[in-house]
Amino acid sequence: MKQALSPCFHCGADIPPGGLVEERSGDTTVGFCCRGCHGAYLLISGAGLADFYRRREWQESGLAPQAFQGGYHDSYLARFVYPADSGSAIDIIIDGIRCASCVWLNEKIIASLPGVLDARVNYATGRARVIFDPELTSPAAIFTRIDRVGYAPRPYTESAAKEVNRREQKDLLYRFGTAIFLTMQLMAYSFALYAGYFQGIDAVMKGYLQLFSLLVTTPVVFYCGWPFLSGAWRAMVNRAPSMELLISIGALSSYAYSVYATFAGGEVYFETAAMIVTLILAGRLLENAAKRQAAGGVERLLGLCPQQAQRFCGDDLERVDPAELRPGDLILVSPGERFPADGRIEEGSTDIDESAATGEALPLFKRAGDAVIAGSSNLTGAVRVRCEREVSDSFIARVARLVEEAQSRRAPIQGVADRVSAFFVPTVLVTSLATFCWHYLAGTPFGESLMIALAVVVIACPCALGLATPTAILAGTGAAASMGVIFKGGDILERLSRVRVAVFDKTGTLTCGRPILFDIQAEPEITPREMIAIAASVERGSLHPLAKAIRDYADAHGIVHPAGTELKAVPGGGVTGRVNGEEVALGSVSFMERLGVAGVPRAGEPADGRMAVCVARQGRYCGTLILKDRMRDDAPCLASYFNRSGVLTLLLTGDLQGSAEKVAAAAGIGMGIGGLSPADKAAQINRLRREGATVLMVGDGINDAPALSAADVGCAVAGGTDIAIETSDLVLAKPDLVRLQKAHLIALRTMAVVKQNLVWAFLYNAIGIPLAMTGRLTPVYAAAAMALSSVCVVGNSLRLMRRTCD
Amino acid sequence: MTSSLIALMFLSLFLGFGCWLVFLWAVRKGEFSDIERPKHRMLEEDEPDKPKDKGAGG
Repeated sequence: MKQALSPCFHCGADIPPGGLVEERSGDTTVGFCCRGCHGAYLLISGAGLADFYRRREWQESGLAPQAFQGGYHDSYLARFVYPADSGSAIDIIIDGIRCASCVWLNEKIIASLPGVLDARVNYATGRARVIFDPELTSPAAIFTRIDRVGYAPRPYTESAAKEVNRREQKDLLYRFGTAIFLTMQLMAYSFALYAGYFQGIDAVMKGYLQLFSLLVTTPVVFYCGWPFLSGAWRAMVNRAPSMELLISIGALSSYAYSVYATFAGGEVYFETAAMIVTLILAGRLLENAAKRQAAGGVERLLGLCPQQAQRFCGDDLERVDPAELRPGDLILVSPGERFPADGRIEEGSTDIDESAATGEALPLFKRAGDAVIAGSSNLTGAVRVRCEREVSDSFIARVARLVEEAQSRRAPIQGVADRVSAFFVPTVLVTSLATFCWHYLAGTPFGESLMIALAVVVIACPCALGLATPTAILAGTGAAASMGVIFKGGDILERLSRVRVAVFDKTGTLTCGRPILFDIQAEPEITPREMIAIAASVERGSLHPLAKAIRDYADAHGIVHPAGTELKAVPGGGVTGRVNGEEVALGSVSFMERLGVAGVPRAGEPADGRMAVCVARQGRYCGTLILKDRMRDDAPCLASYFNRSGVLTLLLTGDLQGSAEKVAAAAGIGMGIGGLSPADKAAQINRLRREGATVLMVGDGINDAPALSAADVGCAVAGGTDIAIETSDLVLAKPDLVRLQKAHLIALRTMAVVKQNLVWAFLYNAIGIPLAMTGRLTPVYAAAAMALSSVCVVGNSLRLMRRTCD
Repeated sequence: MTSSLIALMFLSLFLGFGCWLVFLWAVRKGEFSDIERPKHRMLEEDEPDKPKDKGAGG
């Protein structure tokens, strides 16, 4: 009878009465719901893969399927539907998409709904576009279907700014693609002309080749290059010389001269003009993609807030746009919904998952009087919440604003580049003009003088100079990416190489953020194994990380724990249930006292991040389980690496000062400061930066977001929230801190290569420009020299790809 | 010689133009808007389309 109560060992479904199939293995008996599951079990265990049953994890975090009880209404969803080529379309944000399988599952289940014509889920954004026939199905049916498999769908509308951004990106892609095709054509003609220059060429053929070159170059310069031609024009009007101006002058002057040469006779330099435009467009495209990715984090953050709220209007409920909520409004938040605004619970109690907002992994129990944060997820009970702030002013909106501000501020390196160009551009132009005047006045014919002056512009065209940094950084980031370190931009590499202070967050960064069972204190009347067994049994259904830790321990030690019955979770306290007919309770000391359990020791809360779970059987205390968040194995290794390379290390945490010092000492970190709020952490970092130090911040949750943004380099270790990953500059693909050491090494090497490249490029300009001024360098040689110089620079950069960093 | 070279140049220009049109079509269709998903898509296994099966059998 007892066996029949446990679910099927293979599929986990309840075993129907009379359907039980049993299998004896050793001293245990396992039950199955049908012959099929039994057969599958025999197949798996027969192949020596029985481990599967221990490794697989039935528990899902967060919401249970169909947790959202509000229902979906066509009247509300209708305004998000827009007409498509065939039928109607709706954009849906699907909350809960984690991996490619989620995408696959959602696409399949939506597409299998009758009336749905097409369903595509974007992996990167977690958004679905569903095209459906309004005659056959409705948005509510689609939403209900997604909800039924355990994802939370929400309607999505694109903001005007996003749409403009997307159109710009598409426009740039058109221009770049066009430039690539035309430049490829052009290079064929140019190579023929190069060969003709050295070996001789039929004059008619040369004329044709030049005409064809003119034909393909014109759209490259004037259509593809339009964004920076207009930029250069603005720079001229504002009298602020920029690199755009130099690029435009380089492209336009070589184009103009080539047009002149095509008709007047002489050599053409169309490829110079086209290459400049194409390469610069490629750079822009990459830059935009990086920017968009960064903006995606903020968008996702704000996307967590629901797009509707249930407000009390007297005793009735009305559905309103969260933007209409005012401080003082009373709203109802059902389990499965996210809170629309910051507020305080007025009635009811529930467990709340705040991981999206604060990075806190454990669900928090909150009751009347406790504050709730917009965007966090209500897990267990319906609550009435009194709004305290408007939606636009909520914690999440403020964090999003902070991150946006930090991202929009200009990188210091850009200022330097602009200052150099402000000086470099006019100098080159004046030099070129002076060269022209000098030669022309000295009696050189006009065309020849112009060629000499152009040689100066061509050789000074900051090609090698322009390539010196980006290619090295591209190679460096490429090498880093293959090692699982993702840099969000070249300036990050540069800043990382200059880091003087490394700041660490504690939970989830130096520690795993997942508690493990650490110590078992059993009373004499019970064995530790027995205690674990009953504890794991009553924790069977719980999603709480502490419950998972206990179950993991039981599984790892082969302790059999049959499912308990009459399981009841008391939010914020513990669990009660029946195991083998005996009453079992599990929870905090205060929970035990509330239950009137006898013999609970009056010990204080255990220190430094340890958590105690008391176990009672039949109303009698029988022991305590101590759980602890473990430090990552590689944390001391990383700290000692930084200490060796002369980088100061510092630990900032919200925990108590004593705990901060203890963890810092254990990891070998120079200093630990505790009791800091997220804003305090950012302030600490700003103070360090004011003192002139370049600061690296290593964090995890979103409560680090201000600190990650404030630091010169913010690094989120994986396993953190999506938002933290997207807002930080440096992402480690696997939560292994040694990668950070590799990232630092790569950054140092890349910057060394950048310096070599810059020295080379400057040397080349320093020799080339005077040579061109004397007229000993015709533009063809200047262009060839420029190409050679670029090849040297690129080749030097590519060395970074081959060097492995071990 | 010259005329055949010019013909070849026109031909290459023509081919390039064709590729360019394909590119424009691809951007318009949104082929580049999600570059993460397709690489996973190829690993998915779908049941073969039923009509196709029938055709092969009949």
